[in-house]
Amino acid sequence: MDENKIDQLKKEYINIPIPMELEFTVKKSLKEGKKIMNKKIYLKRMCATAASIAIVSTVLTIGVNTNEALAETLSDVPVLGGIVKVLTFKEYKINEETYDANIKTPAIDGLDNKDLQNSLNEKYLAENKELYEQFTTDMESLKQNGGGHMGVDSGYVIKTDTDKILSVGRYVVNIVGSSSTTFKYDTIDKENEILITLPSLFKDDSYIEIISENIIKQMIEQNKADENNMYWIKELQPEIKETFEKISKDQGFYITAEGNLVISFDKYVVGPGAMGVVEFVVPTEVLSDVLVSNEYIK
Amino acid sequence: MRINSSLEKKLENYVVENKEKHYRIAYSYVKNVDDALDIVQEAIFKAIVSLDNLKNPEYIRTWFYRILINSAIDFIRKQKKIVVVDDEFISSFDCGTVDKYKDVDLYRALDELPDNYRSIIILRFFEDLKIEEVAEILDENVNTVKTRLYKSLEKLRIKINE
Repeated sequence: MDENKIDQLKKEYINIPIPMELEFTVKKSLKEGKKIMNKKIYLKRMCATAASIAIVSTVLTIGVNTNEALAETLSDVPVLGGIVKVLTFKEYKINEETYDANIKTPAIDGLDNKDLQNSLNEKYLAENKELYEQFTTDMESLKQNGGGHMGVDSGYVIKTDTDKILSVGRYVVNIVGSSSTTFKYDTIDKENEILITLPSLFKDDSYIEIISENIIKQMIEQNKADENNMYWIKELQPEIKETFEKISKDQGFYITAEGNLVISFDKYVVGPGAMGVVEFVVPTEVLSDVLVSNEYIK
Repeated sequence: MRINSSLEKKLENYVVENKEKHYRIAYSYVKNVDDALDIVQEAIFKAIVSLDNLKNPEYIRTWFYRILINSAIDFIRKQKKIVVVDDEFISSFDCGTVDKYKDVDLYRALDELPDNYRSIIILRFFEDLKIEEVAEILDENVNTVKTRLYKSLEKLRIKINE
């Protein structure tokens, strides 16, 4: 064969210019990839825990899925009494060449407060059903318009599971062109069996200002440490009109096992997409004046 | 249960060290900076998530190339590539030397090869991989790869001679 031509082609190939963003892209991908991985590990651990709790729980889940009467009988069996846990209740799956849906619905189990348990589980089911229906509708309309790629991945992570607190985060990753990620959290006091809301932790609304101020401070510090950490705040992006000013009253949050408050923002909300979902740990001493008590936040 | 963290580290070092190579491969499929970056990103995601499947860390290169090329082919499949460059457009850039023209034709001929043929040329000649490695990456047997390689070269020459 003509070695010369191959050399010519190779030279062209080697001369493909390398864009500046490549390094950034690779590093971000590694970081985000690990986040996805951690979610998977959480899930695996969850399965292991569920399995160790005994086959009874599996039977129970199948039971709940198939037969309401059976579920009721089983829930009276005191084998698992007092163990509050999260199980995968229902899965929706679509696996076609260019369409991919993977929706896992969690269900909280073991609470004596059935009203709380049912209302959460019903909310999870309803939201995921809607997600699934939306996906199938979008998929059909895309198919009619010549096809394309679409994906949705939804599931849950147990952020915290101690004797006192259970924080469950549910995520939805939408992939149409670029991807967007949203996270929703529920935190339960396992002892008293109540749902903890963000406002319920504080004496009055002043927490909004206090937390927001602290987060903006952290954003600036992170940016100083590494300019790749970019946030949409006026201190860093004076030319942008819509900057992040303060958290909402019911901002997504969870409480860590150590008793720290973590505020979470969905992808794109406070920074460019490359930042992904961002979380800020708010130091407890900043909050001490407005906390109702130190029962959850320490 | 936990992912072997030394393996994770190895993958991390590998993708950082070889990012330019990976980018060029991706670029040669899509011919566009943004799409090539997307493909590199996608491949890294997939690699991290499926690190369990890397049985032998020695094969990290062939294993990653396979993910990368599959990502690129997937990407093209979703958006059928359009060759926007027509002859008139090219000649407006032509500085008059015959060689230049030849280059474009040669490169375009490579572009016009089916994906699985082009992959072989890129891996074998540009990335200097062994035929066996190319076969491993493309999940084909060695003889198929050899046949396709000769066919591709033949096609390239025929196109060029036209």
